[in-house]
Amino acid sequence: MGDIEEVFDLFTQDGVILKQAQASYMQFLNSLGTVYINEAKTDPRERFLEWKPNDITVDSDMQDQEWAVVNTIQKRTRTISGSLPSDYSNRLRSLRVPFRDIKSFKSSHKNRELTVYNGQGDTICIFLFQTNCDHMAGHLKKFMKVVPSKRDRNLYYVQDNTLEIQQLTKSFAELNLPTDDSGIWRLVRNFQTQPVETTFEAFSKVTTLMYKTMDKKEISDHDREALNKSITEYGSNNTTDFAGNSNDYEVVATVPELPVRPEFPRLKPLSQELWRDHMDFEGKIEDVESVKNLIFRGGICPSIRKEVWKYLLEYYPWTSTYKERQNLAENLKDEYYKMKLQWKTITKTQEDNFSDYRDRKSLIEKDVNRTDRTVEFFAGDNNKNLNTLFEILMTFVMYNFDLGYVQGMSDLLSPILQLVEDEVESFWCFVGFMKIMSSNFDIDQAGMKEQFKKLQELLAFFSPNLSNYLNEHDSANMFFCFRWLLVWFKRELSQDDVMRFWEVLWTGLPCQNFHLLIAVTILDNEKEALMANGNGFTEILKHINDLSGKLDIDTIFNKAEGVYHQLKNAEHLTDNVRAILGLPLAPSSSNSASSSIAREMSLASDACASNGSAPRCSVENVRISPDENSYERSISGSYL
Amino acid sequence: MRSNHKNTLLKVVILGDGGVGKSCLMNRFVSNQFDEHSFHTIGVEFLNKDIDINGDTYTLQIWDTAGQERFKTLRTPFYRGSDICMLTYAINDKSSFKNLQMWKNEFLYYADIKENNQFPFIVIGNKSDITSEREVSQLELETWCNENGITSSIETSAKNASNVQEAFILAVEHWLRIEKRADKNETVYNDTVDLTKKQGEKSSCCIGSSDEN
Repeated sequence: MGDIEEVFDLFTQDGVILKQAQASYMQFLNSLGTVYINEAKTDPRERFLEWKPNDITVDSDMQDQEWAVVNTIQKRTRTISGSLPSDYSNRLRSLRVPFRDIKSFKSSHKNRELTVYNGQGDTICIFLFQTNCDHMAGHLKKFMKVVPSKRDRNLYYVQDNTLEIQQLTKSFAELNLPTDDSGIWRLVRNFQTQPVETTFEAFSKVTTLMYKTMDKKEISDHDREALNKSITEYGSNNTTDFAGNSNDYEVVATVPELPVRPEFPRLKPLSQELWRDHMDFEGKIEDVESVKNLIFRGGICPSIRKEVWKYLLEYYPWTSTYKERQNLAENLKDEYYKMKLQWKTITKTQEDNFSDYRDRKSLIEKDVNRTDRTVEFFAGDNNKNLNTLFEILMTFVMYNFDLGYVQGMSDLLSPILQLVEDEVESFWCFVGFMKIMSSNFDIDQAGMKEQFKKLQELLAFFSPNLSNYLNEHDSANMFFCFRWLLVWFKRELSQDDVMRFWEVLWTGLPCQNFHLLIAVTILDNEKEALMANGNGFTEILKHINDLSGKLDIDTIFNKAEGVYHQLKNAEHLTDNVRAILGLPLAPSSSNSASSSIAREMSLASDACASNGSAPRCSVENVRISPDENSYERSISGSYL
Repeated sequence: MRSNHKNTLLKVVILGDGGVGKSCLMNRFVSNQFDEHSFHTIGVEFLNKDIDINGDTYTLQIWDTAGQERFKTLRTPFYRGSDICMLTYAINDKSSFKNLQMWKNEFLYYADIKENNQFPFIVIGNKSDITSEREVSQLELETWCNENGITSSIETSAKNASNVQEAFILAVEHWLRIEKRADKNETVYNDTVDLTKKQGEKSSCCIGSSDEN
């Protein structure tokens, strides 16, 4: 290794910190550098992954840049340090990993970290990317033959041909398949003995089916051509070259189908009569669940909205009596004015010496003047309602000084104040709303990050095509939904719709995090526009921002509820999704091997996902492994 | 080579404290509108606008973010890849002026600019219509710019459309000057630069196809 050798740079990316490596690279840890994928110019043309430090080392304080977004404009070359001529002699002091040593790799931390593993289950190195590792991972996937893990979609196993067949054989053997020679079992056994031939036999059956179906059903020329093309390409690439190292068939995932989405028509808003019917002679609400259900289905009639919100926002307990509510209101009024007096009596000197207070006050002053000023309630100069908005937010600062005031809070208070009008009651209703929303305003934004992660998982499950697309286009971070989630669509909807929207969500029905299912629903509705023209993060952000004012909440609620039932009833629902929606976790599943094989082997089942109509079949979704779990287990057993 | 570009896309980031008028500047420039009571920005927004300078067209992609400290983690990822940074304060808000230093540092750190002396910063003192409440003099502005090696600054009013176009033109011209200088310095490495650039482009178009499962 001592000599200077010539290599081709197949790919380079700068701004990469070496987080972990063997002890001999200690000096480079936490330094900034550049990663390369290189190929030796001399034979054997070995490829390797290489990381080389920049001259300057920097602090690895990258914590708060966790949400990296890649450049939206291609960098000019002068800003790429890698554009300077490479000094190969320096590479003796670099980390170099031959491709043959890499057995799997994994992206994590919102695709900011890339971990490379060897075959003994040890970490070779961990890279931290200032942007993200999508490009790097994309190139590794291109240059090596990999299969994605089914458990962790960020984990990829590098496939070695001979090993792969052994593993496959082993996993088949573990299944103890019956030996009769009929139908499916013959097919399965043929996979063991003649994987390639059997695969193509299967393909041909798909083709036959496709063409047969085509006689009956109209199929577009485009689809036919795509089908032909994919089969031809598959054949020419693979049959001749199976023994070689490249262009082998890939194991690709089928997307199990979700149950049919049920329809849930919206109902009329909760009426005054119905509301009164639910109140007993003392003023207690009877059958709270049924009331919530009615609100969930249709919202609340404007005439009683003001009253009902106080229950939804926990100002009044549902089961309180008239008398109790009266006492409660008096106590809360006292408490409010005590807190209000605290900031009202701060002197000029005190304020000058109290920067944390001053900062909060100044933020509120600025935002109050910029909140819903187009709504009549807040319109015009010297509007007294603006002052009330200000005073409630200031009192909230005294109520929760640590949280203080964060942009977005005035948006949450505004509709409450418009409806409730009374200052004290509005304050306490706002407090109730903030109990639900406060994590959105965490100092470190942990609550928002958590929501993005959950949204990502729900979308990956419900709409895998879109989720994959976002992953591949630097948008997996779900950033573009920030405004939706921060203030629950306040900026996207009209004043009336916001009220309806929030009261439905406040019921907590049909599951927790329903607002994320609403986001999933809207994203799914916009799927085609989002994925059009190779849209990247910038275009996606633009499209989402431009949806403001164009959302129809009844249609969205209707579909989102259907989506909930589809997920709940999906056989393959993951525990992650269950946890997000607050569904009971599945009892430890022992996949009945034979039924899952039968399912997977119905080759013509899942299909051309873009087109919901028949014929539903696709060569891309054919699986050669009958039980990927055991397949994967066997791989992980030896690799990790 | 770059000077031949007929249409250049430039990413412009507007930074500054909440309420100094970042969104208003952007909206005045892009659509010549001003709304006294427009919302404060939540999250990140951007608008595109073409601008002609010396016969060449520049598409400015203007990024506007929420100014509150709390949203730092949301905002900073968008700094990367910026071509121009507009540091904005309001002339009637002394503390927004004092915070320019913080904004500049934050930008340099997260945009990962190595050659910070050369980056096209432009300082904008907005709300020049409210002279009666002025808290920051033009002299203070010039002094601060000198101390920070910033050569472009201007006072604007998004409200009466004063100097807004000029501010963006000034920014692009500043960018052009630095670009030309960088071109000269780079001629030595011309071949290498080209090679890398090609690979970069290749890599971005291969990503989609290589990942499709």
